[in-house]
Amino acid sequence: MTECPECAASVDGGEKIVGEIFPCPDCGTELEVLKTAPFAVEPAPREAEDWGE
Amino acid sequence: MNVAVVGGSGYVGGELLRILLGHPDVTIAQVTSETMVGKLVSKSHPNLRKATKLTFESRASLKPADVTFLAMPHTESAALVPELLASGGTVIDLSADFRLKDPRAYATYYGTERTDTALLAESVFGLPELHREELRRARLVAVPGCIATAAILALRPLAAAGLLGAAPTVVDSKSGSSASGRDAGPAGLHAERSGVMRAYAPAGHRHTAEIEQETGAKIALSCHGVEAVRGVLATVHAFPSRPLEEKELWQLYRRAYGEEPFVRLVHEGDGIHREPEPKILAGTNYCDLGFASDPHAGRTVLIAALDNLGKGAAGNAVQCLNVRAGRPETTGLGFLGLHPI
Repeated sequence: MTECPECAASVDGGEKIVGEIFPCPDCGTELEVLKTAPFAVEPAPREAEDWGE
Repeated sequence: MNVAVVGGSGYVGGELLRILLGHPDVTIAQVTSETMVGKLVSKSHPNLRKATKLTFESRASLKPADVTFLAMPHTESAALVPELLASGGTVIDLSADFRLKDPRAYATYYGTERTDTALLAESVFGLPELHREELRRARLVAVPGCIATAAILALRPLAAAGLLGAAPTVVDSKSGSSASGRDAGPAGLHAERSGVMRAYAPAGHRHTAEIEQETGAKIALSCHGVEAVRGVLATVHAFPSRPLEEKELWQLYRRAYGEEPFVRLVHEGDGIHREPEPKILAGTNYCDLGFASDPHAGRTVLIAALDNLGKGAAGNAVQCLNVRAGRPETTGLGFLGLHPI
């Protein structure tokens, strides 16, 4: 278990593996698994979006 | 429960009937309209064809019901409420007549003098997220306005935590045309409304009083009409007393609304639906809340979206009914909306 770096929700490591990308169940941020023991994540890289404006 | 709907031919009345017809614990005993007496309810609300054979009756023929919903113009509810309460039922009023505790606010914002101060004091502001326990015992429920509902739900956690600074909080709202009702006059003509982006109340909008009453904040409200039939999007510009990071906002709003069935936190880092938008909420009882921290301007931006006829009126009224009647709050309110729409 760790904390989402974006919204501080509890995030369960479960059976996840290093490099796996999964969404935070609360805020939906795509998280990348950095370590499994202890479980650690960071926001996965994402594309910017400005709707062309 | 036997319920009556007074003023059932308008948009709010129609939405109320649509929801109540699907409510498993409700029987609609009467629907009134002074302009549609004797006509089928579906004459005003064609989406209700085959769902009901009810016809509109005159208000003069209104009989006591377990719960009476009032969807009448402002000032008309106040005259009817004492008689309805005397009959022993519960009244859920969707007008503004009992929302404000301070009678002087009615003089300021509605141009009416109020002497029924005991009823103003007794009425419960119909927002379950703020007044759930009082609603369980209420005889008279005052359902808030649509813009006020959005702004209050957005701002309340920040205000209640004592995090607002000295500067007024700016509420910038955008509304669809149904918010102005069925008898909106020339402003509602297609030729005038189509393509519109109109500041119809840059200052002094009536909902200011409700928002201030329920948040304790000084509010600067500007209201706009936009090209939509349903929907309210309120962007709240708050200037907190200290910098707030987004993680702290998540924690604050999760504590306030994490267990609420009809408030959802929406603030996503990617995709095309990153912040709340009213379009996907049409017909639902949800209020979606988002936020962003703006350290450059010392600002916290709060975003609230809802359907002005749903969580902004009829849906919220039925949620209040469920609380008052001790039913699960989601009863009859399970519609998840449409996408795409």
